[in-house]
Amino acid sequence: MTFFQHFISKIDLCLVFSVLVLIFVGFITIYSATYGSYYKNSLKYISIQLIAFIIGFVCFLFFVNFDYQYYKNSYKIIYIISLIILLSVLLFGSIKRGTKGWFNFSFFYFQPIEITKIMFILSFASFIDIKSTEIKKMSFFISVAGMIFGHLLFIMMQPDFSSTLFYLPVSLIFLFIIGVEFFYILCIVIFGILSILVMFFKIFLDMYFKTFDIRTFCVDIIDFCKTGRNAFYMIFTILFSIFLIWLFLYKSKFRFPIIYIVILCSTVFFGCIASLHIENSLRNYQKKRLITFLNPEIDPKGFGYNIIQSKIAIGSGKLFGKGLKKGTQTQLGFLPEQHTDFIFSVICEEGGWIMSQSTLILYFLMIWRSFVIAKTARDRYGSLVALGLATMFTFYVIINVGMVMGIVPVIGVPLPFVSYGGSSIISSLCAVGILCSINGKSVYINKSKIRIPY
Amino acid sequence: MWSQESKFTYETFRKKHKLIFIFFIFLFICISIRLFYLQIIKGNKYKIIAEKQAFYNIPEFAARGTIYSKDNIILVNDKFSYVILYHSSDNKRHHLRQIIKELKKILKRDIKLIATKKNMNGNTFIKLLDNLTLEEMFKIQEKMENLKGIFVTKKPHRIYYFPESTSHIIGYTNKIRVDEIKYLSRQVYKIEDYVGRCGIEQTYDKYLRGEDGGWYTKINAKRNLLKSLKYISPKKGSNIYSTIDLNLQQIAYNALKRIGVTVKGAVVVIDVKTGAIRVLVSYPGFDTNKIGHKDFLNSLNKQNFSFFNRALQGLYAPGSLFKIITFATIMDTSNINILEKIVECNGSFKLGNRHYLCWNKHGHGKLNIINAMSRSCNIYFYKLGLDVGIKNLEKYAKKFYLGQKTGIDLPNEKNGFISNSELKKSKLKIKWHKGDTTIFAIGQGAILVTPLQMACMIANIANKGICHTPYIVEKILDSTGKEIYKHKIETNKKIILSNKTWEFLNKALLETVEKGTGLKAKLNNIKIAGKTGTAQNSHGKDHGWFISYGPADNPEIAIAVIVENGGSSGISAVPIAKKIYETYFNV
Repeated sequence: MTFFQHFISKIDLCLVFSVLVLIFVGFITIYSATYGSYYKNSLKYISIQLIAFIIGFVCFLFFVNFDYQYYKNSYKIIYIISLIILLSVLLFGSIKRGTKGWFNFSFFYFQPIEITKIMFILSFASFIDIKSTEIKKMSFFISVAGMIFGHLLFIMMQPDFSSTLFYLPVSLIFLFIIGVEFFYILCIVIFGILSILVMFFKIFLDMYFKTFDIRTFCVDIIDFCKTGRNAFYMIFTILFSIFLIWLFLYKSKFRFPIIYIVILCSTVFFGCIASLHIENSLRNYQKKRLITFLNPEIDPKGFGYNIIQSKIAIGSGKLFGKGLKKGTQTQLGFLPEQHTDFIFSVICEEGGWIMSQSTLILYFLMIWRSFVIAKTARDRYGSLVALGLATMFTFYVIINVGMVMGIVPVIGVPLPFVSYGGSSIISSLCAVGILCSINGKSVYINKSKIRIPY
Repeated sequence: MWSQESKFTYETFRKKHKLIFIFFIFLFICISIRLFYLQIIKGNKYKIIAEKQAFYNIPEFAARGTIYSKDNIILVNDKFSYVILYHSSDNKRHHLRQIIKELKKILKRDIKLIATKKNMNGNTFIKLLDNLTLEEMFKIQEKMENLKGIFVTKKPHRIYYFPESTSHIIGYTNKIRVDEIKYLSRQVYKIEDYVGRCGIEQTYDKYLRGEDGGWYTKINAKRNLLKSLKYISPKKGSNIYSTIDLNLQQIAYNALKRIGVTVKGAVVVIDVKTGAIRVLVSYPGFDTNKIGHKDFLNSLNKQNFSFFNRALQGLYAPGSLFKIITFATIMDTSNINILEKIVECNGSFKLGNRHYLCWNKHGHGKLNIINAMSRSCNIYFYKLGLDVGIKNLEKYAKKFYLGQKTGIDLPNEKNGFISNSELKKSKLKIKWHKGDTTIFAIGQGAILVTPLQMACMIANIANKGICHTPYIVEKILDSTGKEIYKHKIETNKKIILSNKTWEFLNKALLETVEKGTGLKAKLNNIKIAGKTGTAQNSHGKDHGWFISYGPADNPEIAIAVIVENGGSSGISAVPIAKKIYETYFNV
């Protein structure tokens, strides 16, 4: 068996095919998006993207042939390296768009956070796989929280708000798979939601109910909570009332341990505290930009501009699109960030519904194959990593596409494989390489070469 | 299949794996539905928006239509001045400076830049020059080759040739307010548009406004001009031919003006046969050419309420004019020969504890109904008014269409007001006294009318009950000369009274001018019929009324005059009507 045949047998053809088609779509779209009067420099963008693709492809080949069991055994080293990278970017990185998250290699910028996300998945999966028998212990929880917050801390210092959101779904999926009780997952969800929602509540009120009395009432309550002692009284009252309810339920033969109540309350409490910290770390314009997606018409020239223009671009494509290089929104520069975050709108405008829906189907194919790989993997670690990577891709796609269509807040998340950006495409190809390496070790491939259908 | 872990663990993993996968499918379906909604369902809407924002229109405003008087004299039309716009696609400052230098050379005068520096950075169109004359524009057009990036557009200005005397009929124009665009958005108004206010300008705005043209250009998001697509020349609005007799209008206006500086009043002249308004004056008028100027408001303050169109919106007590209605009520309802009913007037009439006075303190002596009318005796109408009762008086007031809009094609007409004895009883819980009826019979108390209503009423009487809806626009021709509107004479209302009543009413009105209170309106060879009135005014001198028509045997025009605080009508209002008759009949 030649090396090539061996290689082909390892990779999942459907997965690699859909990824390559997506990258091809990406090239065409970047070409079109940067062709118009606004950029006039598509060659530069295309060539940089091509270089990044070649580097990424080399990485892909490397990772396909690299046994993923090594990651499992050296998860501590991987985690420490990822922390070092994050720390060094804080020390030596350069600032771009208000985020200190870029290494400046004179001819191109590299965003190491994309790599550290994959490293996090590898090390975190390994950690929970090894400690799977200890999930009920307190030490397990503390270590898990420590791992997540270690990364989050450094990322918030950049600050890169959109990247922090990535950790929520990935760690949730991992904990769910490993068998953590549903209640605790619920607590994490509540924590996540609270820490974001409470902060936005006031901005939301500020922007939407300027004339209503209800606004002042709610703002008063929030201000009231913020002043320390009052908040303490209030929380004490709430806790006491919750305790009374529990007592009542307990007496009426509906029994469950009080520890749940305590954990729930402390989640709420810490969620509120976390929200204050997140609020402080975000600038005012960022908060407003995040909330404007609910009704972009409120500020059509400012924070709502991106969403409105993006929706116009998507809608005006209709069924068949306007044709390559013919989209008015793209070519005349109405669409913001059209070769990076808003590239999906370009596909929609110039390719129409047919192209955009096909792109979504390609992503779905890719994620489906990742799930199949997760199912057929040789061991639990492989399954966990495959699922983690699938979650990562799904998160990116859903958030990015939802963002350009105005159903998700505007957070700068790239569309994997398609968006212009070297770091994104290299790290995504690495992830695909790891997926293929897991596939290559699968029992079905090595023993009988027969694949089971899903 | 996992090689190291137990089968049970793998099975639980499979379940969770499936669950997560289904959840992800769900997310993808949500996204796809949204995509389908935006592109297929809302596609057309967004396509229109996308096309709209890639175009920019450098507008060239269309001229509004001309308004003519009855004898085709131009009352108002548009004149053009020229505006020079500058646009540079690469935003070179020195290029702009060069152009300004060049322009200075051509025009031989100093150029003050209207645009601020802030505007110049925006890379859009800059207004270089405003209010250029035709000659200056031609000079610039000749040297267009040296001046790249320059656009010349026309800007219409409305010119009113008879600004004060016709101000209330014609109205004026000014820029549309932003809040108005919102509720007028179904029509074609946009920001910077001029819209008609008051008068014909408002009612017939949709005919008068033309279609704006301009250069349609393609722009990008930074508003750089990419290319000009087409030029559409503006289309002038339609021309309106009004029924106004300019000569009479000015005579009426000047007659009011001559009485005094502080006088206020209104004159309405109606063509009896058709209902066409020949004169509609409200004094004081305002200078419509000065609207929008800085000193306009200052000049307005000196003259009180000059914006107020007294002919349509001024509410006055009719005073003795109401005796016409009381007269008709008495004639129509009584069975006996009313002419034989004689009442002796000794200057006052006692009802209960109160005394109601006649305007003549010494009394008129013995009177029949015709004499009472011509001398305007209050006592006669007090007594007979009490006999017919308030119900009948109200019924007849309504028969004469008081308290109703006349339906003239001018905006903001007032209804007027007639008291309602039933209403007073139920709402205020005060009984309708007999005293109220006596006052009502001579037109004081709870009754208010506009001068236009009075003019219509007297025209209807002249027509023996046939009512024509008053109108002011005869026809409208569009810019190509095609007739797009012609007024149809409307006679859907009719006042039904017995022939005897009409006959005696006309006789009484004729006698009023021939021998009675309206003597000063008497002309030598043309018979005029009319009625004077004095509306009591608690704030100052009484208002003087005079309504009349002529010639009495074959009526052509009907006139209503009111002079605010003019005191006795014979002194103030009647001579104005006389002057109009003299001009109209050339005597």
